[in-house]
Amino acid sequence: MAEQHERLSLEHILHEFEDCADLTRRNFPEIGADIVYFSHTVDNLLLINQVLDPLSALQRKKELEQLLRESQFVRVTDSKTAVTGILEGGVAVFAADTVHLIDVYGPEARSVSESETESIIAGPHDAFVESATTNISLIRRRIRSSHLKVIHCSVGEISKTDVYILYIKDIANLAYVQDLQQRIERIETDAINDGGMLSQYLEDKQTSVFPQFLTTERPDVSSSKLVSGKILVLIDNSPTSISAPASFFEFFSSSDDYYERWVLGTALRLVRYVALIITLTFTALYVAVTTFHYEMIPEALLLTLAESRNRVPFPPVYEALLMEFTIELLREAGARLPTKVGQTIGIVGGIVIGQAAVQAGLTSNILIISVASSAIASFVIPNYLMSASLRVIRFGIIILAGIWGNMGLVIAIAVIVIHLCSLSSLGASYLVPVAPMRGRDWKDVFIRAPFSLLLTRPTQNRTPNPIRQKNRK
Amino acid sequence: MNEKIRPFNLAVLVYMSQVGIVVFTLPRTLADYFGTNGWLILIPCFLLSGFNIYLISLVYKLGNGRSVFEIMEQSIPKPLLYPFYMGLTAVWMMFGCVIGKKYVLLFQMLAFPTTNPMLFKLMFDILAFMLITKGIYTISRAATMFFWITAWMYLLLLWVLPDFNWVRLTPFILQGGHNQFKGLLEVYGAFLGYEISILLFPYIDRRKKMMAAIQAGNAYLSVSYINLGLVSFGIFSSDQLKQLLYPLLDILAYIQFPFVERLENLLYGFFMFLVLMTVVMYWWGAVETAGRIVPRLKRQVLAFVLLAITYGISFLPKTIDEIDAWISFLGNITTGVAFGLPVLLITVLLIQKKGEKSGG
Amino acid sequence: MVNKIAGMLMLVLLLTGCSTDQRILDKLGMVQTIALDQADGDKLLVTASIPVIDPNAELKREILQAETNSVKEARLVFSRQTDLRMVSGQMRELLFGIDLAEKGLWKYVETQLRDPSVGFSVKLTVVDGKAGELLAAEHKPHADTGRYITHLLEKEAAGNNIPATTLYEFSRDYNDDGIDVIAPIVADGGSKVRVTGIALFAGDRVVMRVPVKEGLIFALCRGNLKRGEAAINLGDTIGKPEVVVFSSVTSKRKVKVHRMQDGRFKVDLYVSLQGSVLDYTGERTLREEKDRHELEKELSLSIEDKAEQLIRQMQQKKTDALGFGQYVRGRLSYKAWKAMDWRETFPEVEVDCRAKVKIKDYGKYM
Repeated sequence: MAEQHERLSLEHILHEFEDCADLTRRNFPEIGADIVYFSHTVDNLLLINQVLDPLSALQRKKELEQLLRESQFVRVTDSKTAVTGILEGGVAVFAADTVHLIDVYGPEARSVSESETESIIAGPHDAFVESATTNISLIRRRIRSSHLKVIHCSVGEISKTDVYILYIKDIANLAYVQDLQQRIERIETDAINDGGMLSQYLEDKQTSVFPQFLTTERPDVSSSKLVSGKILVLIDNSPTSISAPASFFEFFSSSDDYYERWVLGTALRLVRYVALIITLTFTALYVAVTTFHYEMIPEALLLTLAESRNRVPFPPVYEALLMEFTIELLREAGARLPTKVGQTIGIVGGIVIGQAAVQAGLTSNILIISVASSAIASFVIPNYLMSASLRVIRFGIIILAGIWGNMGLVIAIAVIVIHLCSLSSLGASYLVPVAPMRGRDWKDVFIRAPFSLLLTRPTQNRTPNPIRQKNRK
Repeated sequence: MNEKIRPFNLAVLVYMSQVGIVVFTLPRTLADYFGTNGWLILIPCFLLSGFNIYLISLVYKLGNGRSVFEIMEQSIPKPLLYPFYMGLTAVWMMFGCVIGKKYVLLFQMLAFPTTNPMLFKLMFDILAFMLITKGIYTISRAATMFFWITAWMYLLLLWVLPDFNWVRLTPFILQGGHNQFKGLLEVYGAFLGYEISILLFPYIDRRKKMMAAIQAGNAYLSVSYINLGLVSFGIFSSDQLKQLLYPLLDILAYIQFPFVERLENLLYGFFMFLVLMTVVMYWWGAVETAGRIVPRLKRQVLAFVLLAITYGISFLPKTIDEIDAWISFLGNITTGVAFGLPVLLITVLLIQKKGEKSGG
Repeated sequence: MVNKIAGMLMLVLLLTGCSTDQRILDKLGMVQTIALDQADGDKLLVTASIPVIDPNAELKREILQAETNSVKEARLVFSRQTDLRMVSGQMRELLFGIDLAEKGLWKYVETQLRDPSVGFSVKLTVVDGKAGELLAAEHKPHADTGRYITHLLEKEAAGNNIPATTLYEFSRDYNDDGIDVIAPIVADGGSKVRVTGIALFAGDRVVMRVPVKEGLIFALCRGNLKRGEAAINLGDTIGKPEVVVFSSVTSKRKVKVHRMQDGRFKVDLYVSLQGSVLDYTGERTLREEKDRHELEKELSLSIEDKAEQLIRQMQQKKTDALGFGQYVRGRLSYKAWKAMDWRETFPEVEVDCRAKVKIKDYGKYM
């Protein structure tokens, strides 16, 4: 007992935080109290109102006892709690032989602003920020229900980052919630810095190229996932939320499909699936046709294609890989540079690729068209992670097509499909609603049917409450 | 997770395991053995396979959905069963293997004539291996995906419809054929594949009408075969069809789009999905059967060993003619198995029922 | 683990993928047109035209010639003459010299059908004269005679006047016992290539030619037209030729077969035709309904007349290019059909042609 008491002394805490220059210690000699806190994790206004002003106003020790009895002060007895409390933005008050903690957490945070990676035209523009509490508030604002439950966990042996699991009682399947919670608790690592990183720890198959959970930084998307029966994971210090379980086809829908007329939404979805096909196969098909299957070219195109290939010194595979690689370079450079410089990169790239390479006879202009259209098609896919994965896969397909022509292309498709079939998201098939077949869900996956037809929640969520709209009008 | 195969997926699985390499030669076989309007012979074949599936569903009903291996092992002593299992494994492994080899050899006619065919065969086997080791649920998912990837190809028949002429069908029914029994066996080979569904009993959702789903898969296959047969007889003259070795390839080659033409080798590639599923189902059945003999061995290792053996054997037939001979020989045995196995099981089940009655 | 091994194996496989089967587009000599002629002895004179891909080249095509025993053998000879790899997957047109066509074409067609790289849509054309000479000749401003002929025939076929014949149609009709093969005929017309008519085959030999001005009549009798243009000459009844020029002709053909009492067959050929009149050089006024009807009737009679004349000629040459046999076959039992030699029976068939012409409109001017 005595040993423990000694541990919780002021000296001990100061010893624990030795060499932490950002630790602030203040002394109130009149009442014999000391306070310790990290000045950058506390809200200054709260600190003044809740701690500094009341303490300075006190004259006697008796009054201090009175004050500490108020509910915002929590008595702590062991040093571990005290240390954690201070780290989490609390102020530790050392008076006489007691220690109290008061939570005045309020670090500097970016204010809610527009999403840069997932911008849409119509619909709400706000995006999650790096504070989980703000993010939860953005969700709560959208779902005003006591059924919206939040489970708190923390990950990271060193970082102790807050993670919140959000779900709606009676809509979400509790088996999924438990599974997810167990997976989060099982994580053993030093620190997790982003939702994208967290989702990889949680996935069923971490070695896969495909993201198995949907990540988004849009609160409207997140809350629509919640009400459809999915589970949302938010992690502090990251604007990325994870929703699970996810299916492959979910990555091809965007929230504005629902904000626009259904015809337009449907058309856009179909465009995205066409983009999927183009981005995966277009350049590969060019390579296959020009390397092996010349007979597939119609007469009207034959001369154009042959002439454009005429001066190119490399076989089509190398030509295509070279151009694809250049586009990836440009894209990566554009992403790293500030917007103004990024524009220059675009111009330089356009001229270098579009003109000089063709004139120098390094590539054929038909290839430029095909490489450019597959790059554009990859940007059409709304989810950044998915589109990046597809771009990587494309290289594999091109190489296969360069070796075995159309058969290589088909083998590549087979490998991708077999791999996709073996994936699961929280144990549910990744390819719902195609395999296993759920015809009912097709009208909200491949098309966006009018709302009067979208009566049920997706079956993949295994929700106990599948009916969304009871009576059709 | 407690996943079960659902009716739609079962129907697709059955269809996918039926449609295979034979589809390329089917119209020719029909014209050659049965002469004019040979496509009509598909209808009795459809009924026959429907009857066979009915036998399978009887096994399902009588055995209350128990695995067929359990049924057999209950009554037949193991020393008798093991050779039988080995026979089944061998037949199914080899049948799958020659189908794969034929696919590769045919492809080499279109492209890559000088590459070693065993290289393509190895690639094909690796794909099949990837699927087999992932279990029947992944196979069924893959079947559904491949089904949708290939289903649109039927629309391509619309492109040749302008050349279709009813007059070419002639009013003669099955005239000018020869050796029709052999032809029947060969045509029936195009329907094979449904018999593997007898091994699926433990994996299917018992509450649903699964047997109807198998029939539906078979019916869909028959309808598409009849379509193909009818179109082939309507766009090719009867004597011409007898001379075309692979009429389907010719039909595919005839389709022209403004931006691409001569699609046969790309579309032939798409047929790989169908052939792959057929082969995978046979091999899966073989591996399941062999797994009964050596239950301790891990499935993946077993699959690897069996595939390696058949891969070795597939070096033997080198020409398309040899392969055809193998296919028709093994196809006949497989047809025998398709009918014999359910009959055997029904007999066993009836004896068991009687034993139960007299015993209790 | 096993999957990883599989993946590794796949990678190794890929690296060993060999390049002997590559057909890189710009390294190919893609034969577009092949012309076949009878040469001395039993040899074959094969002429091939290959497009030159270099945009700066003066000549747009290369002509290769060889005298060999077979078409495919010629390919081997050609490949020794050029730095390109000879392939036949882009072949569009096969030209046959008339001397060859009169002797029989099937063995040459069969070679092409066997080759998996040759598609079904290669066109077959008979050349009145030497095919090789026509192909090798220059026809300005067309840089490539082979393509010029291909396009010319495509256009003609689209206008339904002269049907183009593809490999598919040739082998289909050749192997059908109820119809005979046809093919367009072209000839060197000095600076231009001219389409001169339709060759009618008996078996695989050309036995008859339909001149180009009767092409439409022939087309009307052979099948349904969707779009055609026609000038029908009604004769010099009023001292000058009375010609009706039709455009947007659509037509339907119907064949009915009767068995007459003496055992012979009678074929009724119904042709109904619609079109707009573009030009008319006769005396009648088109705005009068009565006149129009008379004109329609006269046109019908003229078509019937010419069709019957054409069919009589075909009967003399024993070529059933209109496919009446297919319909006769429909009236018979299999045995009776097989027992009958249709080629010999065809000349005895009585053919009755009934035409019905309808003038849809006559332009926007009285």
